[in-house]
Amino acid sequence: MSALLAAEWTRLTSTRLWLWGVLAALGSGGLIGLLALVGPENFTPPLPGLDTSQGTHVLLGLLGFTVFAPALLGTIAVSSEYRHRSITTTALFAPRRWTWLVAKLVIYAGAGLAYGAIAATTAGASLFGVATLKGITLGLPAATVAALLARIALAMAVYSMLGVAVGALLRNQVTALVAVGAYFYMIETVLMIVPGIKALYPYLPGGATAALTGFTYLADAIAGQTGAAEAHLLSAPAGGAVLVCYALIAAAVAVVAPLRRDIM
Amino acid sequence: MNVEVRGLTKTFGPASAVTDLSFEARAGIVTGFLGPNGAGKTTTMRMMLGLVAPTSGTATFGGRRYADLSHPSASVGAVLDSAGFHPAHTARDHLRVYARMGRYGPARVEQVADLTGVSAFADRLTRTLSTGMRQRLSLATALLGDPQVLLLDEPSNGLDPQGIAWLRHFVRELAAAGRTILVSSHVLGEIENTADHVVVIRDGRLVTTGPITGLYATATVLARSPQADLFAAKLGQSGIRVERRQPDLLRVHRLSTAEVAAAAASHGVMLHEITPERPTLEQAFLDLTGGSG
Ligand SMILES: Nc1ncnc2c1ncn2[C@@H]1O[C@H](COP(=O)(O)OP(=O)(O)OP(=O)(O)O)[C@@H](O)[C@H]1O
Ligand SMILES: [Mg+2]
Repeated sequence: MSALLAAEWTRLTSTRLWLWGVLAALGSGGLIGLLALVGPENFTPPLPGLDTSQGTHVLLGLLGFTVFAPALLGTIAVSSEYRHRSITTTALFAPRRWTWLVAKLVIYAGAGLAYGAIAATTAGASLFGVATLKGITLGLPAATVAALLARIALAMAVYSMLGVAVGALLRNQVTALVAVGAYFYMIETVLMIVPGIKALYPYLPGGATAALTGFTYLADAIAGQTGAAEAHLLSAPAGGAVLVCYALIAAAVAVVAPLRRDIM
Repeated sequence: MNVEVRGLTKTFGPASAVTDLSFEARAGIVTGFLGPNGAGKTTTMRMMLGLVAPTSGTATFGGRRYADLSHPSASVGAVLDSAGFHPAHTARDHLRVYARMGRYGPARVEQVADLTGVSAFADRLTRTLSTGMRQRLSLATALLGDPQVLLLDEPSNGLDPQGIAWLRHFVRELAAAGRTILVSSHVLGEIENTADHVVVIRDGRLVTTGPITGLYATATVLARSPQADLFAAKLGQSGIRVERRQPDLLRVHRLSTAEVAAAAASHGVMLHEITPERPTLEQAFLDLTGGSG
């Protein structure tokens, strides 16, 4: 397994994918700084300012919304092997196909964590920087901000694994990317309208993510629209565990089904 | 390490690509795997390597299936036309990834690169490589583990004449060193100077297998002699079919050039020219594999 991990690490670091990952992480962190500079009070519609707990929460939540990016990097890692057909050689060197899938999951969990750390550090630094610049104090204590940022970084690690698993499941790069994007930004929101599903929300990837990142904007909005009581989210560790389960289930399905398919 | 294929069958939906195919490839010799386009060569090799699940049958290397080998890339190397490279990897990056995967050191990467001529373009991105360069890179990857068995699917595709000559020599050397080599081709001419044994398939079924000289059984030799009448008579008496092409030129069926020369010597016949009819050899293959293949 250590040989497979080393190989995946070499594969990741010898293309520019990692550089794009670092840039995307810096970019998403920097974007939060930019939005902080503009100030939530100047958004349309206006939101509470940076010096309120809600305003700070909104900006951190927006960072949480970019967990999609590391998921895409994980998806690309697997689907590009199918697309460029290096999968043939990989399968020859590691005929037990689950072994290299596990190696990819591990390496991309690490890469996702690094991505999250970069994005969270950049976002945190720019939030505090903007606050100092504007001569205000953030609406949340520094320790709370740091804890929320750490939870987002963790979510990004888990999402990278989810991305790898989805890539292995669907194999076609475009299909996989569209599926991941569509699910997180559309399908889950649409599902929320179905009354029964709503009770399941805490256990769906979006709900679990909200629990992990502490960003409940969507849950609150749904509660507001439907007039129902606010959805109860899981605790942060439970949310994280649910997400890891999704990644493992997707990986397991990928191992028992498509990885058995013929490699042409 | 011998290779054994037993009753391999693969059906794609209603169509069968390979049907009950059995053959062996032995250590120390080059086995040619011949058949016209679509005969099932690639599918067979993919089944042997566990890339495609056989509908039935088995393929073993030294008695074990590919997936059950303890260190597959050190036992079996394969060059398959469909294997690709990440376009943003250099040739060396590609080798480094798989060297890591197979636990071979960085020195081995340089060795196989030198051996296959990949060194000349090791730092170029794989998306910029020509077909011949890609073929060399595939071969270098297959050789990383210094495998005892090599499966080569149409390895001379895209190679220039020097490349083909080099590959031929290389394959012969590996066989002489005791390796087991299976080389596929859809043209007999491509492997007639390389292979010792041949396995000929058509429509996914075995047509014939045996020493390559067996294919010469249907071949002919042109013999020019001032004593053509005498020679034709003598050969005829031994039950050998002879055609008269020109007054001094005979076409002798089913004998090798050596056998024709020996026959001439034993009858005291002088020969001015003795030529194997190569097109006829190819014709023998075409006859076996059903014409226009
Ligand atoms: N994935 C597939 N789905 C359906 N049919 C296939 C598939 N792969 C191969 N075939 C069919 O199986 C048969 C054998 O194909 P194969 O590629 O093994 O032949 P080949 O001997 O390698 O030919 P060539 O000399 O052209 O490389 C062909 O009829 C081909 O159309
Ligand atoms: Mg083929």
